[in-house]
Amino acid sequence: MKGTLDLLVLKTLEPEPRHGVGVSDRIRQITNGTFVVRPGSLFPALHRLEQDGFIKGEWSETPEGRRARYYRITTAGQRQLSTEKKNWARIVLAIGQILEAE
Amino acid sequence: MPILTRIASLARTLFGRRRLDRDLDEELRAAVDTLADRYRTQGMTPGEAARAARLAMGGVEQVKEDVRAGRIGAGIESSLHDVRYAWRALWKAPAFAATAIITLALGIGANAAIYSVVHAMLLAPLPYRDADRLVFVWSDMTDAGYPRAPLSGPELKDLRERTTTCSGFGAIWSNTTALTGEGDPEQLRIGLVTAEFFQVLGAEPALGRTFRPEDAAPGARPTILLAWSVFQRRYAADPALVGRDILVNDRPATVIGVLPRAFRLLLPADSAVPDDLQAWQPFGADLERGPRGQQFLRVIGRMRPGVTVEQVRDDISALARRISREFSEYGAAGRIFNTVALHDDGVREIRSALLALFAGVGILLLIACVNVASLLMARAAARRNETALRLALGASRPRLVRQFLIEGIVLALLGGGAGLVTGYGLLRSLVAFRPDALSRIELSRFDLPVLAFTIATALLWGLLFSLAPLIEVCNVHLAPALQRQGRAAPGPIRYRTRAGLVVMQLALSTVLLVSAGLLVRGFLRIEQVDPGFRVDGVLTFRVAVPFQRYRPPAAFNSFSRELERALVAIPGVTAAGAISHLPYDDLPNWGGGYVSETAVDRTNAPNADYRTVTPGLFEALGVRLLEGRGLTEDDRDPGSPVVIVDERLAARMWPGRSPLGRHVIVDPGSDGVPAVKVTVVGVIRHLRLRSLVADLTEQIFFPERFVLRNPMAFVVRTNRDPASLAPDIRAAIARLDPKLPIYDVRPLDRYVASARATRRFTMLLAAAFAIVALLLACVGVYGVLSYAVARRRHEFGLRLALGAAPTRVVGDVMREGLALALVGCAAGLGIATGSSRLLDTQLYAIGPRDPATFVAGAAVLGAAAAIACWIPARRATTVSPMEALRTE
Repeated sequence: MKGTLDLLVLKTLEPEPRHGVGVSDRIRQITNGTFVVRPGSLFPALHRLEQDGFIKGEWSETPEGRRARYYRITTAGQRQLSTEKKNWARIVLAIGQILEAE
Repeated sequence: MPILTRIASLARTLFGRRRLDRDLDEELRAAVDTLADRYRTQGMTPGEAARAARLAMGGVEQVKEDVRAGRIGAGIESSLHDVRYAWRALWKAPAFAATAIITLALGIGANAAIYSVVHAMLLAPLPYRDADRLVFVWSDMTDAGYPRAPLSGPELKDLRERTTTCSGFGAIWSNTTALTGEGDPEQLRIGLVTAEFFQVLGAEPALGRTFRPEDAAPGARPTILLAWSVFQRRYAADPALVGRDILVNDRPATVIGVLPRAFRLLLPADSAVPDDLQAWQPFGADLERGPRGQQFLRVIGRMRPGVTVEQVRDDISALARRISREFSEYGAAGRIFNTVALHDDGVREIRSALLALFAGVGILLLIACVNVASLLMARAAARRNETALRLALGASRPRLVRQFLIEGIVLALLGGGAGLVTGYGLLRSLVAFRPDALSRIELSRFDLPVLAFTIATALLWGLLFSLAPLIEVCNVHLAPALQRQGRAAPGPIRYRTRAGLVVMQLALSTVLLVSAGLLVRGFLRIEQVDPGFRVDGVLTFRVAVPFQRYRPPAAFNSFSRELERALVAIPGVTAAGAISHLPYDDLPNWGGGYVSETAVDRTNAPNADYRTVTPGLFEALGVRLLEGRGLTEDDRDPGSPVVIVDERLAARMWPGRSPLGRHVIVDPGSDGVPAVKVTVVGVIRHLRLRSLVADLTEQIFFPERFVLRNPMAFVVRTNRDPASLAPDIRAAIARLDPKLPIYDVRPLDRYVASARATRRFTMLLAAAFAIVALLLACVGVYGVLSYAVARRRHEFGLRLALGAAPTRVVGDVMREGLALALVGCAAGLGIATGSSRLLDTQLYAIGPRDPATFVAGAAVLGAAAAIACWIPARRATTVSPMEALRTE
């Protein structure tokens, strides 16, 4: 669903900064493989979010000693995340009501 | 999202592109490496791990493309990219680019120049305050041969006191006067004006003031207002001049002000008020008490706010009816006034010619743009393979369409820029060659409206002609195009589109050719007109004799006689004489009524054109005497005055009988009523003195010794080069009176040329545009046929190889081209039959459907098209059979 990926990315980055592959690993891990985010969608999403000022990318080293671009969530991103969360809850509620209605 | 972040991102996209892309590259490479590390730890060999990582990432290039497309301003960025691409593509095809840009520059330049003239003359307001409220009042004497005559002093008073729709009226009459005193005496063109004239006109002085009512009061000190040109040249632009006295005709007058450098008096050309008057003086207090029939005032009025021209016209017409009843001088015909908006009236004669030219350059531009469209289509056809390849590699069709549009617009803007330069040059030459009647062309500027018009034209046409190659883009089918590798094999549809465009071009240039041809033929007819006098070998000049020193009539007459003798004594001079008005000069007309002795109602007399002449004049002008005798030095007895009349007056007064010795009652004093009895001693041919193209009113020539006019124009016939006479003439006059200035020294043919100048100007422009249009259309024919020949190279090669005669091949191609020409020409002649009626007012002595012109137009087009066809046709025979077969 549109906007879902942005929400997932922001949520993944909330506790700590990650690089692109890290974000995709984390999403697969939490959802037990339900969501597999392809790089073809992930990188454009990361760049879009950075452009909008919700996350900020910085060059850093991985535990394996490689240079990678780490994204951390910004204050604007935190605010955006809570808005999106509320929206999502409303959507889930609404869809639930539709499905349960006889 | 904060707007600042967005702007910063946009700036990064547009200007930090290289860094963004480097970062992206590195980030993706790092991601691939991270994945590969992971696969290696799972036990893959390094090679396998790297491949698996790349696979997991999907196409790295594709990911990059998606990231870039998601950037803010990506659309702008890729448009800029398209612009750069288009620029490079044009740069790589210089012949194509140059052809297209030159074609556009011609079309757009001609439009920009003519538009700036149209803007200055027809659209822009006159340079006075609230100029749209100015009206001009004519006295309509159509029955007497003067549809646009001036008004008299008492009539001006009536207008001022007995109408309500105008807040004021001003009047002007142009004359000459001499500046004496310091420096050489100098003859000035002066405007005598009413005190309110400049307030009514809405013009402010640069220095000092304009006239006030007290300047025209009885016993007021003489005052003078100067034009900037005189102020600068004669008085070195010294501001202290204002308030000082200068000598005008040997009498002191106070300089009260100077008008701005840019001031021009833009009255209708036939009002006989030159737009470059050098000074102004107020009329005396007795202006409004003159005779009602003495019409010499050009009258402008300023409408009250909220009043329309129609209301003013009704108001003033009603006044004319009232005074017609009240004053017996007007007789049975009465007086008719016509009131028109000053601006419309000033451009009334040139409007249709200008609009015709504007339409002409519009057609020229259309032809030019069709050429460019055709070029673009040929280019798109040649680039089919490239287009197909790009489609195959994933370029979207909208993206390709956008790229073609951008290419067209880049081309249009380059053409527009070149067009502005061309147009500016063209406008400068239009200004340089302007006829006197079009002196307002000088006001044409390349200003904002013209720039806006030009850029809008270029963009609009750019969009239109860049749509043409889209037919190509949308028709590219991948597989066949790629399979046919390298051999252009366009389908018949596109050739037909281009052929249709060429037919249209040919039709349009036929229309222009025929129109220009009509104007040229009409003009040649005017050049052949016999005005009744001999134009060449004559030098003219004017001299104004100061009455203070030459008391009329005796001293004045003897001076004029001596001068005539001195002129004839100059070696090479065969005859000399003087006349009050030269043919086609800019002096106000002079005329009056004439009736037979027995007429009961002298107030309803027909009008004649009056001129005063000296005895030598007719010989100097080369005028043929039909009957009777010319004037002699003895025709000076005021007791028994004589006149010469023209054949038209003779035929009207005494049809079938000899006019010699008969009497006619005339009005030489311009009092409004014929009262002076004169005897006819000679009859001459009617002279076309005021219009080359029409016999106007009857003519009466008075001996100068009887009716004195000042200044007089001298006419000197010579068998030398007329221009070389000037120093001898000056010397002869200096011997008689060293203080007397002569002016307007010019050959008679200059006056005659100026009478034709406006038509000549329009004719030359129309011819130039038609020739350019013809050239462009031929380029179009040539382009399409070359294309057709290239397409059939293979076929021609085969036919030649199998022994076909080259002439047959040439014939085939020529037939194809000439068929287009024939259709285009026929269509053009059809359109011209309808459209040439619009030129009717510009034509003389030929009809708008003059068959000879139509035939000539078709012949010229046919010949030009044949040449344009022959070059590609001949190329068809040079195809080497071997080469043609090898490309199979």
